[in-house]
Amino acid sequence: MIKAENQAGMEFYQKKVNKRKLSGSLEYITSKLSWQVSLVITIIALLSSIDIFSPNTSEVNKIPLIISIIFLFEFIIQFAIYKKITAQIISNEGQIGDDTRKMGWILLPFVITGNFFMFIAGFMLIKKHKTLEYQLCVYSSLTTISILLLSSLNLFKDSLVSTFMLGISAYGIYAVINLITLYFAGIYTVEKRPDKKFLPLALIGIIGLITGNVFSFLMGTISIAKYFNKNEEVTIEWVDVIRRLFKNYMAAIGMLIVVFLISVSIASLLTFDYDIATLNNYSTLLQSPSLMYPFGTDELGRCVFTRIVFGARISLLVGLVATIVPIIIGGFLGAISGYYGGKTDNILMRLLDVLYAVPGILLAIAIIAAFGVSTMNLILALSIGGIPSYARTVRATVMSLAGQEFVEAAKACGATNGTIIFKHIIPNSLAPVIVRATMGIGSAVLSTSSLSFLGLGVASHVPEWGNILKAGSTYLETNPYIAIFPGLAIITIVLAFNYFGDGLRDALDPKLK
Amino acid sequence: MKRLLRAFILSSMSLSLVACGGTDSEKAEGKGDVTLETIKVLGMSANEMDLNILADQLTKANFDVDVNMQPDYSSYSAAVDAGDWDLALTGWTTVTGNPDYAVRDIFGTAGAYNNQNLSDPKVDELIEKASTETSEKYITTYKELENVLVNENAYMLPLYSSLRMQAVNTDLMEPTMRQPKSRSAVWESWTYKDASLNATRPFIMTQTSSILTSLDPIQANDGSINQLSSNMNIRIINLTDEDEIEADGSLSYNYAIAEGNSEYYFLLRDNVNFSKIEDKKAVDTGVKVGAEDVVFTLNRAKDQNSVPLHKTYGLHSHMEEISIVTDIEELNTIKESNTGVPIMEMLMNGMETPITSLTADKTQADNANGVYQVVKIKTIKPFPQVLNYLAHQSAGILNAEQVTSINSKFDVATYDATKDVCYGDFNAIKSGDNHLWMSGPYALTYVDDYEVAFQKNPGYMVGTEYEPKIKDIVVKFIKDNVSATSAFRSGEVDFLPAVDVTQVEILDAEEKFEVMKRSSNGVSYAVFNLAEGNKFTDLDLRKAVLYAVDQQPFIAVKNNLVNPAFSTISTLIDTGNVHVGDPAKSAEYLAAYQAKAE
Repeated sequence: MIKAENQAGMEFYQKKVNKRKLSGSLEYITSKLSWQVSLVITIIALLSSIDIFSPNTSEVNKIPLIISIIFLFEFIIQFAIYKKITAQIISNEGQIGDDTRKMGWILLPFVITGNFFMFIAGFMLIKKHKTLEYQLCVYSSLTTISILLLSSLNLFKDSLVSTFMLGISAYGIYAVINLITLYFAGIYTVEKRPDKKFLPLALIGIIGLITGNVFSFLMGTISIAKYFNKNEEVTIEWVDVIRRLFKNYMAAIGMLIVVFLISVSIASLLTFDYDIATLNNYSTLLQSPSLMYPFGTDELGRCVFTRIVFGARISLLVGLVATIVPIIIGGFLGAISGYYGGKTDNILMRLLDVLYAVPGILLAIAIIAAFGVSTMNLILALSIGGIPSYARTVRATVMSLAGQEFVEAAKACGATNGTIIFKHIIPNSLAPVIVRATMGIGSAVLSTSSLSFLGLGVASHVPEWGNILKAGSTYLETNPYIAIFPGLAIITIVLAFNYFGDGLRDALDPKLK
Repeated sequence: MKRLLRAFILSSMSLSLVACGGTDSEKAEGKGDVTLETIKVLGMSANEMDLNILADQLTKANFDVDVNMQPDYSSYSAAVDAGDWDLALTGWTTVTGNPDYAVRDIFGTAGAYNNQNLSDPKVDELIEKASTETSEKYITTYKELENVLVNENAYMLPLYSSLRMQAVNTDLMEPTMRQPKSRSAVWESWTYKDASLNATRPFIMTQTSSILTSLDPIQANDGSINQLSSNMNIRIINLTDEDEIEADGSLSYNYAIAEGNSEYYFLLRDNVNFSKIEDKKAVDTGVKVGAEDVVFTLNRAKDQNSVPLHKTYGLHSHMEEISIVTDIEELNTIKESNTGVPIMEMLMNGMETPITSLTADKTQADNANGVYQVVKIKTIKPFPQVLNYLAHQSAGILNAEQVTSINSKFDVATYDATKDVCYGDFNAIKSGDNHLWMSGPYALTYVDDYEVAFQKNPGYMVGTEYEPKIKDIVVKFIKDNVSATSAFRSGEVDFLPAVDVTQVEILDAEEKFEVMKRSSNGVSYAVFNLAEGNKFTDLDLRKAVLYAVDQQPFIAVKNNLVNPAFSTISTLIDTGNVHVGDPAKSAEYLAAYQAKAE
């Protein structure tokens, strides 16, 4: 009896130990998500290959069926590797064997099918000691390769934009550079100071920001900062923040999607044809998805895929600007009222409360109705509604900081109020604002799309996700894909910002260091 | 921390800069060395798709298109009046079915809807000439007018003519309901498949506009009341489903045109009574609709100052005199225009009881015993198309006493909409003051923000084939066509009077719904702003636009549910004219204009 209880206790304990071991392993987490996603895509593709709404027809849609088979294959491979990793981590050795690590190479080529989870899982498996630079390089390469793949879908179209070849070769070269950097990052970067030979690659990485690739930029800055860090024993604080951010896999994926969309917005200048997105083509009205039109065409014969790609640009632009503007205004007002307190606080906050009492979307509708439909007015409308909440956030942090010793010390030294606010208080109260802003961009994108859907956002011919969704809503029953894809795009970007924001909050939280 | 912030701000700023810079450079690379000609296109959001196609074609023809889309008709009209536009997308439905109405008000110099400042003596002359001609002769005149309007001067840009599409729930009704081309729906002919439902089940249909301009027929002529007013007030003449003039189902048994085409005779019925509303129910007033009411109604229709805001004066100004004929000899001596037989013979066509006497007092009329009433209308000049205007809802017969009792309470010259109540005032009726006396098959019982309800007139041609069958008809206000379709599909509504082209496929797929389609007199077109100082007073520039636009894309996008059109007359007369876009010609005219401008 006692033995049996003991046995059960041991099992429970063993399970807990295993779970902790597994959750500490990046190889396990990435490969788990990879097989899960592969399986989900397999099922969705399979379901859409047979028309579930009219079961009597025996017709099978070929393209989804092929996709389904490919992903089933990927799932099987990934699942097998996942099982092996799990077994090895749980085993007494507690380590992944070298032969298993070599299997990571198998996973890499599947990125061509768009399965970037496998790509990440592969690289995480190959390397045993993964420095932050190495991880960033993986994400950076993935971003570039994804853009390359996305752009090359244009090859199926009748005509290419004149800058296409230039763009695609530039991105091809950049992808190679990325992979080279990735290779050397595996060799030269260590936890502390990286090898001097890596510096040129780090510089190239920083320049990569012009393609929107924030990962390569971060990688470059981190290696250079580490190289010039005088005291090796002390870690650089902001590098630690990023390291903690990348420990959270979902946050990393969220950031990947955000960076990918930013990069796509920039890449589309070269490799995508704006005319296909805006000019009508009366010979291709309402076509179903095909290789030439991956997301089909809308009621005016425009390629929905190209429209969504260009839509990312306007969504991100409005989202970013409509978040930065209220941060600046709201942050300033919040800092003043939090620092001075008393009457200043009371007056400012009561005025902002009035603004707060009006629902944001209603305020936006009212502003647009008054000033007319344009992108500028849209940004203005969304910005004004965001001011009070940022002011409140900043005010709360500033109030708690204003009483701290370092502020008193600054006062004792004779610093002016302006110096104290801008040099001491604002920099120290930024963490919650940054987190809020990241989440705020997601909701700003959502508001933009909602307003466009109501016909109050950007002009109707402009490819914006809400606009595309609005056009698609009329054809929901006959041509559902016009509405499904922009809908998915909106969901993805909002989720991505939310996961990224969550991760950022955890990373910035001093208690979770 | 500080550095992280710096990195964040720097990266986001540079990104926004890159993104902004991108859009600019892209515009510049656009069309190479061709200079773009700006054109301001004005339209309504209801025609968003048309505007898009129009703008698209003009963009492809090297125009820099600036689209101004207004949310509704009233803001659109305001923008039209403000004059800051070059090309305005508009539409015209010839509800009277005659070509004069299709051109006079929109292209005539004095036309009430001539918003483009078109003033061309040749156009006016052709409109006048055609109006005096009979249907055999006017085809050539109207064809010439079309050529002047489109080919020679490019005053207008024809786009397409729409179909009349109505959907009915076939569980309830046979899909063989009357489908008139111009005339509003003929409610009294409707009946349920199961006739026992007629007395008990209200028939529900929809309408987009919830604000009815006015229920005085002459004070309004728009989509908000056309159908309602047509069924509330009887007229002395009707149109067939193919726009021929007929007396069938009207207040007249027969009509005749006298020699010279300027005198018209109508033999009236005695079996129509006015209805009024008591406790939200239609009751018979016991008062006959007679010749005195016809004279009163048409006299106020042709008098511009009979009511404030007279909207249909242009339709009725051709009448000179309306009188009651009391002398039987007059009918025997005057000859009919086409056949040369006496008027009497035409009026007695198919009648069982011959006329023994004529009376000027409607209470004395007794058709069964040969006592009839005859009305004579004299036009200022020979004008056969006057009959079409008499078939229009604005010529609906009202009760002389009731209208006078309401309208005598104020002076037309000093009318103040905020305090004075006219006969047919929508707001008064909405608030419960239903003062209407209705001569038509249906009586308006009440109207609120959501619906307007009708009940059959108990004194309307009782016992004849024209007696209304369905007792209650309700028209629900649903602003958006797509929502109306949803309501229809869910069974909330029995009949859709206007089906959107995008919804046809969905409705056709369901067995219990039938979309009835037929040609209509609705034409979509665009007009140029010809106001002095506007650059589109230049003919070459107008022609460049005219030939830049082809009608095929409109037809393709609308799933072949619209037809080509050459002008507003196209649906009425087959003139054989066709508009075809020609990019080469367009470029030629544009180059010619730009050469002149330099």
